[in-house]
Amino acid sequence: MRGVVGRTRLGELERVVMDQLWAFEGPATVRQVHDALSRTRDIAYTTVMTVLDRLARKGSAEQLRDGRAYRYRPAVSREELTAELMHQALDTVDGSDRTLALLRFVDSATPDDAEALRAALAELEQRRADDGDTQP
Amino acid sequence: MTPATPVVLLVLALALTGPGPAALARARWPLRAPRAALVFWQAMALSALLAALGAGLSAATLVLVYQDPHPVVVALHSAALLLTLVVVARLLWSAHTLGTALRAGRRRQRHLVDLLGRADARAPGADVLDAERPLAYCIPGVPSRVVISTPAIDRLADDEVTAVLAHERAHARARHDLVLEAFAVLHNAFPRFVRSRTALDATAGLVEMLADDAARRRSGDVPLARALAGLSTAPAPPGALAATSVTPAARIRRLAHVPASAPLVSAPAYLAAAALFAIPTVAVAVPWLSAVTASLT
Repeated sequence: MRGVVGRTRLGELERVVMDQLWAFEGPATVRQVHDALSRTRDIAYTTVMTVLDRLARKGSAEQLRDGRAYRYRPAVSREELTAELMHQALDTVDGSDRTLALLRFVDSATPDDAEALRAALAELEQRRADDGDTQP
Repeated sequence: MTPATPVVLLVLALALTGPGPAALARARWPLRAPRAALVFWQAMALSALLAALGAGLSAATLVLVYQDPHPVVVALHSAALLLTLVVVARLLWSAHTLGTALRAGRRRQRHLVDLLGRADARAPGADVLDAERPLAYCIPGVPSRVVISTPAIDRLADDEVTAVLAHERAHARARHDLVLEAFAVLHNAFPRFVRSRTALDATAGLVEMLADDAARRRSGDVPLARALAGLSTAPAPPGALAATSVTPAARIRRLAHVPASAPLVSAPAYLAAAALFAIPTVAVAVPWLSAVTASLT
C-alpha cells in the first residue's frame, strides 16, 4: 500500500476523507465513507480504511467499536483544527521551541511602525524608477 | 606540549564566544554577503566549540606528562575533564530535546496543513489556508510545505505572491532550518547566565536575507518589498516580543541599497572563515594531540 500511495497523495487523501467525515451527521462506517467518495473519485476500499486508520492514530478522527466493525467520526471540528494551526503558526513567544519550527515570511514578533515601512518602500520604488531598472 | 596549551585554547574559546560574535553582529558587510557571513558564523561557532573542548581535554591530559603529579594537580585535571564531559553531555541533550520537539511540531503542522490546506491557482504549489489572518510560512523538512493564507493572497498582487513563495521555497530548498537548529542547540546547551542570543538572532537575520535574495532574483526587488510591507502591517499577536534582529523595514532598505550578490566581499569572508577554523586546529590542537600520543607510546 505504502509503495503505491505516496506521502503527498496520502496527505491529500486524508483531507478528502476528513472533509467527508465532517460532512456526515453521525459516525460513519468505512463502507459509507467509501461509497460517498466513490461518487466523485476512483478510490479503493482498502485505501479508505488505511486513511481512516491514520486519521484515528493522529487523533483527528475517533474510532468507535460497533459490533464487528468500526465507525469513525471527527474528533475535532475544522474550526478547532484551524485555531490550533494558527496558534502554532503565529506563536512567536521568545524561548519557545516552536518559534524555530516554522520559517515565517515576516515574523510577527518584529512589528515595524507603518511609517518606517512606507518610507523604506517609497525609497526603493523611487530608486528603481530612477534606474529605469526592470531587472528580473 | 606545554602547560600553556589549555590557556591558549581557553582564551581563544572566550574570544570567539564574547567579543567575536559582538563584533560580527555589528559589522555591515554581512548585509552584502549573507551567505559568506553565515559560513563565517558557523566557522566561529565550531572553532569556539573545538577550542573550549580542546582546552578541557588538554588540561585533563596534561597530567599524563608529569612524572609524579601532586594530588591537587590530579584533582584539578580531573575537574577539567569532568567539566568537558558535562559540556559534551549538555550539547548532546540539547540536540536531542530540541530536535525531538522541532520534528514533532513540524509533523503536527504538516498534518494540520494536509487536512486544511487546498490548492489555489493564485498560489501554485502552495497549501492555501482559509484563515482569518494574512500569513505565509514554510514547514521545513522532508517533505517541506509552503503555506499561505487566503487573506495574504487577497492582499497581494500576483507577482508579490510569487515573491513570497520564492522566499519560502528558498528556505525549504537550502535547509535554512538546519543552520538555525544548530545555533539553537548550541544556545540551549549553555546556562542562561552565560549565553547570549547574538549568534542566534544574527543567523536568523542572515537566513532571511538569503531567502530575500532568492526571491528578488525570481520576481524583482519591488514586488518583494511590496509583499514585505503588505504582510507586516498585520498587528502583532498578544504576547509577541520583538526578539529577532531583522525587521521588514530593514529588509526593504537592504533591497534598496545592496545588490543581490557581492563576490568581492564574499571571497575574503570565506577565506577568513576557513582560517578561523583551521588556525586553532593546526597551531594548537595538532601539537597537543601529537604530544599526548607520544606520551602514551
